Amino acid sequence: MQTIDITLTINEQTHILAVKPNDTLLEVVRDYLDLTGSKEGCGEGVCGSCTVLLDGHPVRACLTLALEADGSAVTTVEGLADEDTLSPLQQSFIDHGAVQCGFCTPGMLMSATALLKEQPHPDRKAVRKALSGNICRCTGYAKIVDAVEHAARPASGCPDCHTKDTGGDHD
Amino acid sequence: MRLPQFTYHSPDTLQGVLVLLDEYRDQAEVLAGGTDLLVRMKQRLALPEVLVSLKHLDTLSYIKEAPGMLCIGAKTPIIDVIRSDKVQQQAPALVQACERIGAVSIQHFRGTIGGNILQDNRCIHYNQSLLHRSGRQPCHKDGGKICYARDEADRCNSTCQSDGAAALTALDAHLVLNSIRGERREALDAFYTTDGIHPFDMQPDELLTQIDIPLVPGAVSAYERLSFRSAIDYPIVCAGVRLVPNPDDSGCIGSARIVVGAMGRSPLFLAQVSRSLAGVAFDDTAALEKAAKDAMNAAAAFAAHNAGAELAYRQAMVEKMVVRALTQAAARVFTRKAR
Amino acid sequence: MTDYSLIGTRMPRMDSRAKVMGKARYTADLKLPGMLVGKILRSPYAHARILNIDTSRALALQGVKAVVTGADTEGVKWGVFAYTRDQQFIQTEKVRYIGDEVAGVAAVDEETALKALDLIHVEYEELPAVFDPMTAMTTDTEPIHAAFPNNINIHVNIDTGSVEENFAKAHYIREDTFTAPEESYFHGEPYAVAARFDYDDCLEIWMPNGGPHMKSKPLSNAFKIPLHKVKVKKITIGGAFGGRSEICPADYICALLAKKTGHPVKIVFTREENTIATRQGHAMITTHKTGVDREGRVLARETTCYMDGGAYSSTGPIATSVPFLSMEQAYRMGSVRYNGYRVYTNKPIRGMIRVHGRGFACGLDTQLDMIAEHLGIDPREMRLRNSRQPGEFTSTGSQVWSCAMDETIKKATAAAGWSEKFAKLPPFHGIGIGTNSVQTGFPMGIRGGSQSFIKFNEDGEATVMSGVVDNGQGNENMLVQIAAEELGLLPEDIHLVSADTETTSSDPGSYSQVSTFVGGQAVKVAASNCRKKLFAVAAKILKTDPDKLTAKNRMIYVTDDPEKSVSIKKTVRVALLNFTSVNAEGGYWPKVDMKREWVSNPYGQMCEAFSFGTTIIEVKVDPDTGRVTVLNAVACQDVGKALNPLVLEGQFEGSVAMGGQGGMLTEYHDWREGRCLNPTMLEYKVPLACDMPEITDIIVESVYPENPMGPYGAKEAGMSIAMSAAQAYAGAVSNAIGVYMDSFPLTPDKIVAAIRGKRQAGK
Repeated sequence: MQTIDITLTINEQTHILAVKPNDTLLEVVRDYLDLTGSKEGCGEGVCGSCTVLLDGHPVRACLTLALEADGSAVTTVEGLADEDTLSPLQQSFIDHGAVQCGFCTPGMLMSATALLKEQPHPDRKAVRKALSGNICRCTGYAKIVDAVEHAARPASGCPDCHTKDTGGDHD
Repeated sequence: MRLPQFTYHSPDTLQGVLVLLDEYRDQAEVLAGGTDLLVRMKQRLALPEVLVSLKHLDTLSYIKEAPGMLCIGAKTPIIDVIRSDKVQQQAPALVQACERIGAVSIQHFRGTIGGNILQDNRCIHYNQSLLHRSGRQPCHKDGGKICYARDEADRCNSTCQSDGAAALTALDAHLVLNSIRGERREALDAFYTTDGIHPFDMQPDELLTQIDIPLVPGAVSAYERLSFRSAIDYPIVCAGVRLVPNPDDSGCIGSARIVVGAMGRSPLFLAQVSRSLAGVAFDDTAALEKAAKDAMNAAAAFAAHNAGAELAYRQAMVEKMVVRALTQAAARVFTRKAR
Repeated sequence: MTDYSLIGTRMPRMDSRAKVMGKARYTADLKLPGMLVGKILRSPYAHARILNIDTSRALALQGVKAVVTGADTEGVKWGVFAYTRDQQFIQTEKVRYIGDEVAGVAAVDEETALKALDLIHVEYEELPAVFDPMTAMTTDTEPIHAAFPNNINIHVNIDTGSVEENFAKAHYIREDTFTAPEESYFHGEPYAVAARFDYDDCLEIWMPNGGPHMKSKPLSNAFKIPLHKVKVKKITIGGAFGGRSEICPADYICALLAKKTGHPVKIVFTREENTIATRQGHAMITTHKTGVDREGRVLARETTCYMDGGAYSSTGPIATSVPFLSMEQAYRMGSVRYNGYRVYTNKPIRGMIRVHGRGFACGLDTQLDMIAEHLGIDPREMRLRNSRQPGEFTSTGSQVWSCAMDETIKKATAAAGWSEKFAKLPPFHGIGIGTNSVQTGFPMGIRGGSQSFIKFNEDGEATVMSGVVDNGQGNENMLVQIAAEELGLLPEDIHLVSADTETTSSDPGSYSQVSTFVGGQAVKVAASNCRKKLFAVAAKILKTDPDKLTAKNRMIYVTDDPEKSVSIKKTVRVALLNFTSVNAEGGYWPKVDMKREWVSNPYGQMCEAFSFGTTIIEVKVDPDTGRVTVLNAVACQDVGKALNPLVLEGQFEGSVAMGGQGGMLTEYHDWREGRCLNPTMLEYKVPLACDMPEITDIIVESVYPENPMGPYGAKEAGMSIAMSAAQAYAGAVSNAIGVYMDSFPLTPDKIVAAIRGKRQAGK
């Protein structure tokens, strides 16, 4: 089958890849680039485990052809940390016990990252709504909501918020 | 799950798309957001040889006002419809419908309003994997002669579960379709064939380019839908209504459009029930409730076991969704007056 | 040592970092050199004889490296128990459910493998199929398994005697039947297997599992290779919930393909396969007949339960028993008779699941509420009058030592405002209580215990070897926490080698709720043995006696004179320089009645500890649509000792979601002729973030200082909440609409029908 060359900027690194028309963006990041953080949980766009940011917007990588992403900027979970320094959101997930089996975690982080870019201080209702396309079977969502809500704004009553002098912006 | 193989084109212009559709016709499918088509392809329900992508056709993404009309480009993302001031003010039923489509991270950024209308009809017996379907006779929509949603049925009983289509039908939307042969308009409620297998009155070389919502002075609209969960799910029943006040300012309904969705093979515009509301006062709760009951009786006949919920329940809920939509729309008349 | 450094603290899990960075590797993420893609051909028929399989066209396809069918096996039937051997790994004679394994292929890529499956031609002769237990038991069509003529797979009978006598004494008797269809786990991670045979003919295999040692033995038997040549490897696992315990045909098929091709092979299940081709929960029809005295104390109970087991036994004896066991642990009964029938049907295989018998448990508590209403007793009081007390014996003779069930009832109801709310809420608002108990383990024969080895490195840090597996619940962190506490090190000084059958000793597995109690205790014992050795060396260095020392923060110091100290690192090095090591082992075997057997002898000490949970749920029901909004959820469990409240809360919250919100409101499977209509995440409704209530977690401890069983007194945590949450949701909805519901889950259509029925009855 013929391949087509595309240019994909993934986590700020530009790649030129020869892809097949029926390769999805998920398959390309996982199989071609060994970025296995994005997961296939259902293959039909429902579970959210494959959520990535495409030009900043949350989309299902399993339902996006690689060809459709040609020329776009993609962010996967591997792009959230700055080398070994976790993003405040990632750290918040750890601190709040929002990670159990971890399979939904990358997708949750991507949806939440997109939310926090748009709404820096969402309330719990807004967090729940933004995460409603990400299915978790382990946590009941409670600590994930805590982690996202408190990432931007630590809560004084929360025993798991580690107030740091964060200085400026949060993503 | 691996997609089947196909050839991919992403023309830079509308004309480029139309030329390809003319060339490949039935062998081609248009790819917009892909959240419906690609799932069906993974299940081997759709096997187009060619995909014609609208990737470069951002010219089809817009929301603008024309005389007496709100014009929405077919490729407008769902999120843009939700966030549009114009649509919020002039056609709130559409905003309500779009907010309920799936989930934000599935359809709202990648999905398009055109794609939502043109999603294929669905049935719990049809939208299944090859493994599920292979051990029994294929159904009508799957190329066979049997219907699993309704016993003894000699035709397909799949249903249109599009939130956007139900709301837009209530809003009396018209579609603009283009091909190399030219452009044509069609009212949305005439656009459906009522054939579950090929639900749309659309030629294989045509592309949906624009959706027009007529702006009727004083009109109010609302949309209600029911599903087990508050996101992701398709509606198990939904209702869109548009009420136009009587121009004599009597506080009565001049004309109504009541549409029930996720029941029939197309959104069901209930003309007779709608007519019965002419002359009824907006605050005549009893009349609105009666209309909702009549809507339920009219729509119930179309129900089939094509969704994952009890049939009797879905039928009974038509009444609840219609009365809620009517009540909401009627309330909008008063809030508008109060301003 | 009651002044702990780590035990009892809210310790973030050490495995979280890799997961938030996307670095944790699950089975489907593995890439091995030369790896092939495996796929399984499954039966499209619910019941059919296999007449012929022609694989020639598949084998001829370019890129196909192997095709296997039952002919490549010895046709041996396997079973979890010796008396449940009914499943071949690849069927040779007939298929018994839609999804049953018929062939496997290994090819260079997924497309080729899928094409190869299409090219395998199987000739079937369809047979009449049965899809529910009642039909299956009475049908005269061909039985699903020849050895079970009436399709009854397992019959558990428990009888304490005096049942009729006690019914005769009862003041009030009720008999009610409750039904619930099957439910599924819907793990985040779809099942996958990767396997290869190495240069030494050793099988290396990775898959999500509830106990690697449960997987290695059957593989050793099947491939006729010794256990030391079967290496079930550690891998990050995306959930188990009771459904990934025993060997699965895919494990065998993957290994067989690896053997045949000489290449690594990976099989990744679709979401549908994960639903229909692993395990599901049993559908159940449960009849409870309960006789109480004037005060509502249960004098006699007779329960009959018919369970839809699907096509093969799996862990049938366990699943048929646990619903009863939870009941007898939580509630005192003067006498009881139980008949549990697990019946074969031509549907996917059923196994153990986190909410063990939602129909059974919810029926039980709903009936208690009905009895309470009749007697004019508050449901909370009803629970307290029948609740388990410490020191008592269960009906089948397990003594319960650590027990704070009453405390969970009192604290949960207080936090939920029960007395201000029960019978005082507006119409269509309701409050419900659920209480339950879960066994921390059960007799597992040769695999009942766990053994840990701890070695120190020259830098003073330690490696802990343990067979305990983490399915996502935090078992790895638990081992690190315990080892660090006992050794006086920091968590980052502990490295784990775990869940690997090559390097770790046998362990019962996580599915029997014993990872902490048995596995954690084994690590604690091993660590304390290391500490003894460290102290022996340090005592010489510090010129004191070993019993005067404390280990903490990487230091060993004289307890009463902390300035006199030596680092653990130095102690280790001194030991090595003096021809000795501080490595040690330790193990734990729970003292259970080894003669207790699920079917042949269901009496005796089941386990050493039982957890107790109470959940209170408050709801508002929309009477027009039947939709339920949960206003408040309080989850309170007696966990023995809270090792890590942060992790415990997460378990409670996930349990409320799975057992209650999903298990009672939206989760069920719909069938048509053995075909699952909702195998996907779209059509099977697991709860979403927008529909979950805020949850209050209350941890209760009950440690017996003279005999703190389990590490520091810790028992199982979470499952009592999963079960009691289901019961509380059922109770709350019933309370809200004034109708006791007997068919679960309580989907909106059932609620609307019940409300309508009540209105009409009232007319």
